[in-house]
Amino acid sequence: MQRILRDHGRFREIVRGRIKSDLRRYMKEGELLGQQGGHLISIPIPQIHLPQIRFGPNQPGQGGAQGEGEQGGDGGEGGVSTAGDRAGQHLLEVEVELEELARILGEELELPDIQPRGRRMVETVDTAYNGIARTGPQGLRHFKRSFHQALRRQVAAGRWDPDRPVVVPEPDDLRYRSIKSKAVPQSSAVVIYMMDVSGSMGREQKEIVRIAAFWLDTWLRSQYSNLEVRYVVHDAVAKEVDQHTFFHLRESGGTKISSAYELCLDMIEKEFPPEEWNIYPFHFSDGDNWSARDTERCLGLLEGQILPQCNMFCYGQVRSAYGSGQFRRDLVDGFTGDERVLTCEVADREAIMDAIRLFLGTGK
Amino acid sequence: MKQWSPDLRAACEDIEQMARDAGLDFHEVQFHTVDHRQMNELAAYGGFPVRYPHWRFGMEYESLAKGHRYGMSRIYELVTNTDPSVAYLQTSNSETEQKLVVGHVFAHADFFKNNLWLVRADKDMARTLATNAFAVRRAYDAHGRDRVEAFLDRCLACETLIDPYGGQGGRLPDHLPTRDVLGWVLAHGRLTGWQKTCLEVVRGEALYFAPIGMTKIMNEGWATFWHSRLMTGGALGDCEIVQYADRHSGAVHANPGQMNPYKLGIEIWRALDRRLGGGSESLNELLRIRRIHNDVTFVEEFLCQEAATRAALLAPGAPSDAVDMLREQVVAGLGNRGLPLVELVSADDDELVLRHVWEGQEIQLAQAQDALDRLAAVWGGPVHLDTEEGGKERRLSSGSRERDAA
Repeated sequence: MQRILRDHGRFREIVRGRIKSDLRRYMKEGELLGQQGGHLISIPIPQIHLPQIRFGPNQPGQGGAQGEGEQGGDGGEGGVSTAGDRAGQHLLEVEVELEELARILGEELELPDIQPRGRRMVETVDTAYNGIARTGPQGLRHFKRSFHQALRRQVAAGRWDPDRPVVVPEPDDLRYRSIKSKAVPQSSAVVIYMMDVSGSMGREQKEIVRIAAFWLDTWLRSQYSNLEVRYVVHDAVAKEVDQHTFFHLRESGGTKISSAYELCLDMIEKEFPPEEWNIYPFHFSDGDNWSARDTERCLGLLEGQILPQCNMFCYGQVRSAYGSGQFRRDLVDGFTGDERVLTCEVADREAIMDAIRLFLGTGK
Repeated sequence: MKQWSPDLRAACEDIEQMARDAGLDFHEVQFHTVDHRQMNELAAYGGFPVRYPHWRFGMEYESLAKGHRYGMSRIYELVTNTDPSVAYLQTSNSETEQKLVVGHVFAHADFFKNNLWLVRADKDMARTLATNAFAVRRAYDAHGRDRVEAFLDRCLACETLIDPYGGQGGRLPDHLPTRDVLGWVLAHGRLTGWQKTCLEVVRGEALYFAPIGMTKIMNEGWATFWHSRLMTGGALGDCEIVQYADRHSGAVHANPGQMNPYKLGIEIWRALDRRLGGGSESLNELLRIRRIHNDVTFVEEFLCQEAATRAALLAPGAPSDAVDMLREQVVAGLGNRGLPLVELVSADDDELVLRHVWEGQEIQLAQAQDALDRLAAVWGGPVHLDTEEGGKERRLSSGSRERDAA
């Protein structure tokens, strides 16, 4: 092993610790979202540097004693700097695998692993050269096993001479590597995000949903080998859209939540049979609905059709200046004591972390 | 050199002979070829195979590896200031590139052996660093990684507070004022055995590496000047010239107004050579200059209009006093290694008072505060730093942030 890998490993460990302790801030600021590329995510980490006495500008009012909070000096602060070639504080961009980020999230929020329901597991077949056969192509001949076999035969036949330990394999002794197929449980999940895009949902509300969705995705992706994400927007009518549209669309007009639930149900029935899929509908809204009658219809849809097919149903109520928040109260009243329905109020960005802890904390 | 073709090996011997004939004087150079991973590892460790365990090297490695992966940077060679000199060449260099690099390396080796600022360095540094690594590892084992690492982090925050100009080698300071704050702490601080070892390691290594930074423009310029001379003076075959020219121009490329030490260095050396007439007397003078100067004095004395224009630091046809301003500016940036000049002025009652010698530029207060807190932790008592902010005097004191918060 290269010597540097130990130092590098230690560095990654410190980075991981930093991300973990700053998780709440990363969640709040949503700065990770724009930096995704494939399975890697780039995280700017400001504190890992070596503070030294150096030249640099000072913002007025940000003198030494009032500067950014400091961590007291244990663990690992520091950085690289040789003979004055790097001035001031540099932000360090480190790359972290999304899976690693999910693990950090899980540790920090103490999320239990999800147990996909057995009947929903699809068996896939995985193949690998991990078996042994008596026949096969010469390229796959297993020298050690063939030799071993020949030795055994010779010993058994009394033809083994310790003074002249020559082993001569016969064709029968030859062993070959072979393919053994193994059934691997493959679990699939689908996340259906529904969001109210009526006029009362502002930019900040959508940003909160976007951040929450990122972390929910990250966690669920680490739990299922196959995760699909679908997006539904609704005002008075619902339609399915792509991710970009979902987070940027702005509509006006009324709100009929049942339209989204109907579309969601339609998607489940057409594309995601619950025998094969773990289904996670998440609904975000500011809590206003068109009418009490529509709310009643929503509760009916949930109770009768959606809930029996899904792992759980999560409703996040994003506080806005206009929303009354009535819908959450109706949900809570309708499903008191029902573990399948999780609702929470996301007042501001600070609350995102708690919302995620609530939604994912059940391990379903 | 195992993987080298016989041709390349022969060429290398020729280049060495040419360099010696031309007047360069260097210790034996041992060549090793390494792959990019090993090269990044060596570069992260400052050119040596073994350093004490610390994550800062891992961080450097990550950024080098990333630079390599994205094709932004590639290290052709590394040479150490030791006797014998050890040169690491990247295996992926083509034969032409290897020749260029070999010529470059011999000139570096000459510079290391002769320049006054580098000649007194520990020429057995690879072994010293390995010994240091052993000592630090033993401290990790005996006192726990977290404790030792935290202490090293604190020491490293103060590693600039040494005196590479002092000319007293590693001796500890015995009177004030001194710039060798770490030396003072070593001599008078209340350190336990392993803490003392760690601080000695950090100070000693910083003292070794500092002069290399203080002669970068000269050294890189010298090596570039010589590889160009050797390569175009017969070391290359006709068919290699184009690739050589491409690599060479890549190394000395400078955007207008941006300082590339290779470019600035070579242009100063070349302008000097032209001014001196280019003959053997000129050569003797160049050899003398490479012996006695460092970057600051080199630029101060020899940066002329011609060199500055060629190095793209001045626009062609700039007024003649522009070069004076430029010179002042470059020298100011190089002075004291580009670091604030800080000296220890008093050490009464267990309190250290540092003074930032004002030269017109402010230090970054928030960062200095953090550094000060760490220095105080190493010293074991309060530490103050007198500086200026916005035209007014300002005193930073260790621990003041915690007091403010309380």
